[in-house]
Amino acid sequence: MSAGIVTHGLTKVFPPPSRLFRKRPPAPAPAVDGLSLAIPPGAVTGLLGLNGAGKTTTIKMLATLLRPTTGTATVDGLDVVRDAREVRRRINLIAGGERMVYARMTGRENLWYFGQLYDVPRAVLKRRIDELLDLVGLREAAGTLVERYSRGMRQRLSIARGLINAPAYLLLDEPTLGLDAPIARDLRGVVADLAESGVGVLLTSHYLAEVEQLCRHVHVIDRGSLVAAGSPAQLTAGTRLPYSVELTLTAPAPDATKAVEELAARAGAEVRHDTDPEGRPRVTLRHPDDLAGELTTTVVRAGGAIARVEVAPPTLEDAILAMAAR
Amino acid sequence: MPTALPTMRRNWLVTLRAYPWTYFIGTVATGVLTVGLAYLAFHAIGGGQVSAGFLADGGTGDYLGYVTVGAAALMFATRMVLWVAKAQITEQREGTLESQLLAPARRLPYLVGVGLQAFTTTVAEVAVMLAFAIAIGVRLPAPDPLALLCAIAAVGVAVFGLSVPLSAIMITVGEAHITQNTLFVGMALLCGFTFPPAMLPDPLRWLGEALPLTSGLRALRDAALHHAPVGAVLPDLLICAGLGAVYLAAGLRLLGPAERIAVQRGGAA
Repeated sequence: MSAGIVTHGLTKVFPPPSRLFRKRPPAPAPAVDGLSLAIPPGAVTGLLGLNGAGKTTTIKMLATLLRPTTGTATVDGLDVVRDAREVRRRINLIAGGERMVYARMTGRENLWYFGQLYDVPRAVLKRRIDELLDLVGLREAAGTLVERYSRGMRQRLSIARGLINAPAYLLLDEPTLGLDAPIARDLRGVVADLAESGVGVLLTSHYLAEVEQLCRHVHVIDRGSLVAAGSPAQLTAGTRLPYSVELTLTAPAPDATKAVEELAARAGAEVRHDTDPEGRPRVTLRHPDDLAGELTTTVVRAGGAIARVEVAPPTLEDAILAMAAR
Repeated sequence: MPTALPTMRRNWLVTLRAYPWTYFIGTVATGVLTVGLAYLAFHAIGGGQVSAGFLADGGTGDYLGYVTVGAAALMFATRMVLWVAKAQITEQREGTLESQLLAPARRLPYLVGVGLQAFTTTVAEVAVMLAFAIAIGVRLPAPDPLALLCAIAAVGVAVFGLSVPLSAIMITVGEAHITQNTLFVGMALLCGFTFPPAMLPDPLRWLGEALPLTSGLRALRDAALHHAPVGAVLPDLLICAGLGAVYLAAGLRLLGPAERIAVQRGGAA
């Protein structure tokens, strides 16, 4: 039995809506097209793409909510269609937004009810509810009706609901959407701890810094197909996006400026001269390699006095936007 | 019953916090009005007599008892259908359907839980209507309580069975009002709630026999009005419960695909 979530050629085509007395429109393009992924236990794996890329459809197929049109998906060797009930015991899904919990029940009643649906033993459930309420910071509001919760509180309860069955695999679809920054940061900590404890996590998020921080491996999909995969660093390096090195001089130094121009021409870097808010001369080099070392050496040798050097490596967000633009 | 009882408890909690008083008043008022109008018509127009045709087709001269049992059964059926058939579309509207479907719990115990809570609530509502009927002089002798209880149970199974395919249709089309009211009109017309089905043209009468409430009503009336023991109502009880089981089985087969269509319509990206 293979551990982890594995998909082979996963494809989903949604049938066009039928209209009475109208000719059926042609079959639409697949929402997910031949996707092959591996989500190992004990790590956070990212699934990125632009809107409409097929992320949510993929997650819903892995969560047994939708059936693949073709291809297979297994969770620890269990097929998501044939063994759906057993798969549901091992997974859970947390989606962004504050729905998925009952508004006319309290936070504690919601967790109790969902624990019953997962057949969590009574003694375990009581302890787990308390732990989860502490984890998401809702212990004091546990007896309050959810309809009186704020949006962030509902989302936190939804996160607790997603952990009620102690899932081996957690599917997170924009989990920090609408959360306040401190709560989102706490959630990222929880996700990292879960992965550390052996839980396999699949994360989609529009906050790419979040993905960069948490994910060991990232799959990038576009129009339902896999277009890139690797660690955030590999994805970023693969796009050959420029590092930006910004050097500020303490005072104008014509020799240093000339030497920087020569360095830029030799390396094929993009160069820009301006002044910082305090009026000091500033030079910015943009190149796929980090030229910070060469730049500072060049300036110092040419007699320039450096006030400040700042290096901005390309981010995962830059890489995803570059891939989308292709 | 790891899912049924928690679901029943959940629905009780929610119902006690937000009891739909307007539904209750509307439903009881309809029942009271049906019995009240029948009372007025019987005395003011019929002079306290039924026609020979009604006597032959309905098998009784107790028109008020006949209408009261029919109105109570119609009230019971519509309220149960409203609770059970609309359970999943309500989950869908409130955004909790997916969290339900994610869990390994089976659909049948979930719906049984909804049905158990609905049964207790509905019985209380019907009791209010029956109290009014008895207050205006309607007699419901029911000499064999066992036969009456069996008939109520069979009608309960029948209504539950009818509700499940209706639930599948509702979440498939994403609509409840037209779907439920189509069934209610069909039931009211075909099953003999306020007049004997024998008065209907044959095709409609056969159609009515395909609905389990028709045989269930016969059993209810025989038990409540005609002094029939369990043995006498057994054939109708079996038909009623059997048809209900067929609708239930068909509904459970339809629910899986219906739920996937509902999730699909819920959005994909």
